Amino acid sequence: MTPAKPHRVLLDRVSVYADEAAAFMRRRRVSRRPFARLYYPHGRSADHAQDSRSGAELFVAAGRLIEVAGKKPKR
Amino acid sequence: MIQEARARVTVGIFAEMADASTAAPPSGESAAAALEFLAEMSPDLRGAAILGPGGEVLAATEGDEGRWEDDAAALFAAADEAEGEPVEQVHIATEQGEVFAIRNAGLAAVSVTERFALASLMLFDLRSALRQLATPNFGGSEPPKPRKGEK
Repeated sequence: MTPAKPHRVLLDRVSVYADEAAAFMRRRRVSRRPFARLYYPHGRSADHAQDSRSGAELFVAAGRLIEVAGKKPKR
Repeated sequence: MIQEARARVTVGIFAEMADASTAAPPSGESAAAALEFLAEMSPDLRGAAILGPGGEVLAATEGDEGRWEDDAAALFAAADEAEGEPVEQVHIATEQGEVFAIRNAGLAAVSVTERFALASLMLFDLRSALRQLATPNFGGSEPPKPRKGEK
């Protein structure tokens, strides 16, 4: 039995990575919930839950901006 | 000797850096050009606005500029109040879309994208746009210098 051609091995490897990435994105779409994340100078970040007071204010402000932006323009 | 040369170079580097407190605010045209470039670079973008040092809208995609200004101010106010510290970047993901906001070089930008937009890329693009606008030759009152061979 002859070994697989080198380019086939490479293509198979790339396909495996692409499949993995697609599966990851699929899982992310299903499992991701709304969040509000704030980033501060020096790299610190903080998450604010939707049911907290600060989180609720952030989501209201974000909702207004989404309303202003409207739908995605056709290009 | 080497230290002296390095000191001279360092002074030169800082002299060329855009300073938020001294640089003139960018014109509306250059902000609009930056937004157009941003829209071209980001297929997920629904809308965005660039705000000046006083929170005024320099340019916005579609929509009422007054509303962009008010809603962006409300977002930054809520974000600053959340932990009692001024934020640098904001990322809010909702069912209806995602909102990004960033402050850089004395300017600010907000953008709204489709769901699942890549956050790091969007924030990088926004930051780059603001940095470019803050450089005097791009966003200031002086027009960009013509390249060699151009009239």
